[in-house]
Amino acid sequence: MERIIGTDELQSGQRRSVFVDDIPALVIRLGDSWHVIEDVCTHDGQPLTNGDLSDCSIACPRHAARFDLRTGKALCMPATEPIRVFRVEIRDGAVWAAP
Amino acid sequence: MSTDAPVKSDVEIGDYKYGFHDSTDYYAFKSRKGLDAEIVSQISGMKNEPQWMREFRLKSLEIFQSRPMPNWGGDMSDLKFDEIYYYMKAASEQGKSWDDVPEDIRRTYDRLGIPEAEKKYLAGVKAQYESEVVYGSLREDLARQGVIFTDTDSALQQHPELFREYFGTVIPPGDNKFAALNSAVWSGGSFIYVPKGVKIDFPLQAYFRINSQNMGQFERTLIIVDEGASVHYVEGCTAPTYSSDSLHSAVVEIIVKRGARCRYTTIQNWSNNVYNLVTKRAMAYGDSLMEWIDGNLGSRLTMKYPAIWLMEPGARGETLSIAFAGHGQHQDAGAKMVHCAPNTSSRIISKSISRGGGRSSYRGLVKVQKDAVNCRSNVVCDALILDPASRSDTYPYIEVEEQNVAIEHEASVSKIAEEQLFYLMSRGLTEAEASAMIVTGFVEPLVRELPMEYAVELNRLIELQMEGSVG
Amino acid sequence: MTAATADISRTGFSSELFEEFLASRQEPAWITAKRRAAFQIYQELLGTELDPEEFKRVDLRIFNAARFRPSPAPSDPSAVAALLRDRTEFGGAIVHRDGHADAAVLSEQLRSQGVLFGSLADYLQSHRELLEPRFLQQAVKPDADRFAAWHAAFWTSGTLLYVPRNVEVALPLHSLIAHTRDGVADFSHTLIILEDGARATLLEETASASPDTAGLHVGCVELIVGRDACLRYVQLQNWNEKSWHFAHQAGCVASGGSLQWTAAGLGSRLAHIHQDVNLDGRSATAEVNGVTFAGNRQKISWYTQQHHRQQGTRSDLLYKQVLRDDSRVVWRGMIKVDAAAQQTDGYQRSDALMLSDDARCDSIPGLEIEADDVRCTHGATTGRVDREQIFYCMSRGISRKEAMHMIVEGFFRQVYDRIPIEIVRETLSRTVQSKLGIETVVL
Repeated sequence: MERIIGTDELQSGQRRSVFVDDIPALVIRLGDSWHVIEDVCTHDGQPLTNGDLSDCSIACPRHAARFDLRTGKALCMPATEPIRVFRVEIRDGAVWAAP
Repeated sequence: MSTDAPVKSDVEIGDYKYGFHDSTDYYAFKSRKGLDAEIVSQISGMKNEPQWMREFRLKSLEIFQSRPMPNWGGDMSDLKFDEIYYYMKAASEQGKSWDDVPEDIRRTYDRLGIPEAEKKYLAGVKAQYESEVVYGSLREDLARQGVIFTDTDSALQQHPELFREYFGTVIPPGDNKFAALNSAVWSGGSFIYVPKGVKIDFPLQAYFRINSQNMGQFERTLIIVDEGASVHYVEGCTAPTYSSDSLHSAVVEIIVKRGARCRYTTIQNWSNNVYNLVTKRAMAYGDSLMEWIDGNLGSRLTMKYPAIWLMEPGARGETLSIAFAGHGQHQDAGAKMVHCAPNTSSRIISKSISRGGGRSSYRGLVKVQKDAVNCRSNVVCDALILDPASRSDTYPYIEVEEQNVAIEHEASVSKIAEEQLFYLMSRGLTEAEASAMIVTGFVEPLVRELPMEYAVELNRLIELQMEGSVG
Repeated sequence: MTAATADISRTGFSSELFEEFLASRQEPAWITAKRRAAFQIYQELLGTELDPEEFKRVDLRIFNAARFRPSPAPSDPSAVAALLRDRTEFGGAIVHRDGHADAAVLSEQLRSQGVLFGSLADYLQSHRELLEPRFLQQAVKPDADRFAAWHAAFWTSGTLLYVPRNVEVALPLHSLIAHTRDGVADFSHTLIILEDGARATLLEETASASPDTAGLHVGCVELIVGRDACLRYVQLQNWNEKSWHFAHQAGCVASGGSLQWTAAGLGSRLAHIHQDVNLDGRSATAEVNGVTFAGNRQKISWYTQQHHRQQGTRSDLLYKQVLRDDSRVVWRGMIKVDAAAQQTDGYQRSDALMLSDDARCDSIPGLEIEADDVRCTHGATTGRVDREQIFYCMSRGISRKEAMHMIVEGFFRQVYDRIPIEIVRETLSRTVQSKLGIETVVL
């Protein structure tokens, strides 16, 4: 597991670009739950970084594909493949993640 | 267009639109120039739409405003969003007069042999097309079979649940900037629902719908073909279509359910002032067949890539595309096929011709998702350049994520072969006639799929175009 | 919302590093001035967005420039294993270690004919008038993009091959670019100039000292082929799978000249190569052969262009890519025909063979044609190994591995046949075999 970020560094609704095992990822805080996803839309291979967050899902800013933050599942076209989500643990005041 | 004389549309838009005076005589309502939330609300209010549609339009406006312009495709630097009137409602009996239609357009209609009434319709002269007598009985027949065929505005009012179930599901407003624009200001277009098992054996044409303006800037078409049903829809026409509007941004969504068939034929020949930026997409389910026949003959810039998403096994998609770019035109057209399920197949045949300095580009995508095994796809794109001033480009994209598939693509660019010309001329044809024959042969795979009248018109149009290009 | 933008230190070299680097060079003012100009372009470009069309499929976020530095001095001279070097007699050879050139070896006969072969850094100073106009001026320009500018600021040395008029160099020459230090940033440059009527063959390869020596190569190859001259150039990129390879490579062919270019992409973790051929004179021809074999998590990206500028020119590009495991290959190829380039014959084709479920190949051929009397065709195929063929082989007593080998070999055969240099063909064939996991029998 890699230490990603301190739990006091993000407010709810905020996000930060990070790397997990050298893979570009995004850590997102929603309330007290933390999500770490691979920062790539499986539809066009470009970053999801600044996409809209709502209902525990993230939308791709280019063509409106949506992905569930918990499971990575593609919720609508044009995406069909899920995005990768990393295992998350909270301990010692920090967020840890692993593939 | 058909000749190289400047078309009246090159004159100031404001001057021409109202027959030389800038007045609102011809329109029951015209929004002010430019686009904002107030105008969008106004549109929704005038149409008496339910709250959800108003919210949908407003959200779409936000998306449109937040997206950047595409950095690929044609040159849109002259497209001024703030100079466009986004909504106009035609007064019922008034319209432009026949005399206001540019001379060369009237001449082309004559040469193409288009009947009187259709000429006027095409020129936008009559808001009401005199089709009651001719087409009235056809419409009754359809209604008896449970087919719904009306304009999109009426469909929202008359079939709200059916409408809401499918509207925006194939092309959501977030799909691209121009889909967002259309989603905010859409007006007019066709709505077709074909019930299970019903096979309509004659093509449905846009001008069967007579109850509203038939060629709007921001048409929104939605077609649902239920299981086992089949329909062929035809829109547009080969004759040059004069439009004072500089931006046409339509959206066409089609759902083809299990075992159903749908063919959508478009021939567009917009005048040289028009930016024609269209998003068309169909979702094809199990064992269904979707076909796009796409003819792009006019406009200043067309960017259009009819797409088919093959969602379930057995689905098949085919796009036949022809682009003819003349002086001052850029056709950037093609097709997109996305294989999301195993045992699906697709075919793209694209024929493009450039002459007189025109530029025609093929831009297409074949995408195969992971686990979509046993898919087959074949793409052929051929281009003819008829003179040294013209240009042709090919941008094919192939994205394959599954190894157990067969994908083929080939493209060629050439000019008319000397030997072929020589052979035909040695049999008494002039060079123009020979060239026309060869070009007609070049586009034959597409023309053969058109309803008879269109095929005839298209061939005649090619001859007309070829006359200008030789000697 | 916290904006999540890339930090410049991840993507490039700072001005402190640049000044340190300049201080370590002993160069005349004219060279330093060019470096400074290039560095300025580099800094400006770092602040702009990458071309989305070009980098759409190449995710550079995983690349961290801060992990690499130019090597200040030549490193220990122990041998680095290479593929081609010991396989035949060469007319000359040179080795570059971590951006520093060893002394070149060149046959006396060639030397007496006026052939120049050796360290580019040295020759640029000793033969300024001859070389300055052709170094980063004609084939590759520093402002092409950030990688070109980066290279133009930090190039250290490289291979120069200069062949005077009508001299024919019969034996091939060899160049090896090696990384021996972990974390080295190497900016080696290859410059080949063939004057009118000259002929030569250069075989170049890259190698890493060990599977763990992570290196960065921001390279450049310029091939200038004179009238009626004939150049055969081969580059076997065979870094380990921890190294990074960015290159701008361009050939310019004058009238009647011919260029035969073979490129193999076998190594690296991520490679992004611009490969351009410019047919600048009437009847110039170029043949480009590409062989890619990617495995594990490799990402190899080719960005090729065949640019026809004059009449009667001909280009023919064939790329064969084999992919396995989780690898990814992107080939984006363009044929551009200028309005003056009538009677052009342009061909390009890419075939991809996928050996696993997770591999992915994107082929993007393109044509931009402004002349009307041309013949241009392009094609691409992607497929998997035919199960029936494997079954057939196995039913005749051949193991699955050997059957795969035969099929992959057969797949590459078409491009091998276009390479007239036997040791290159053999070497490629052997390397492919070992990548397939088959032990090669040492004869």
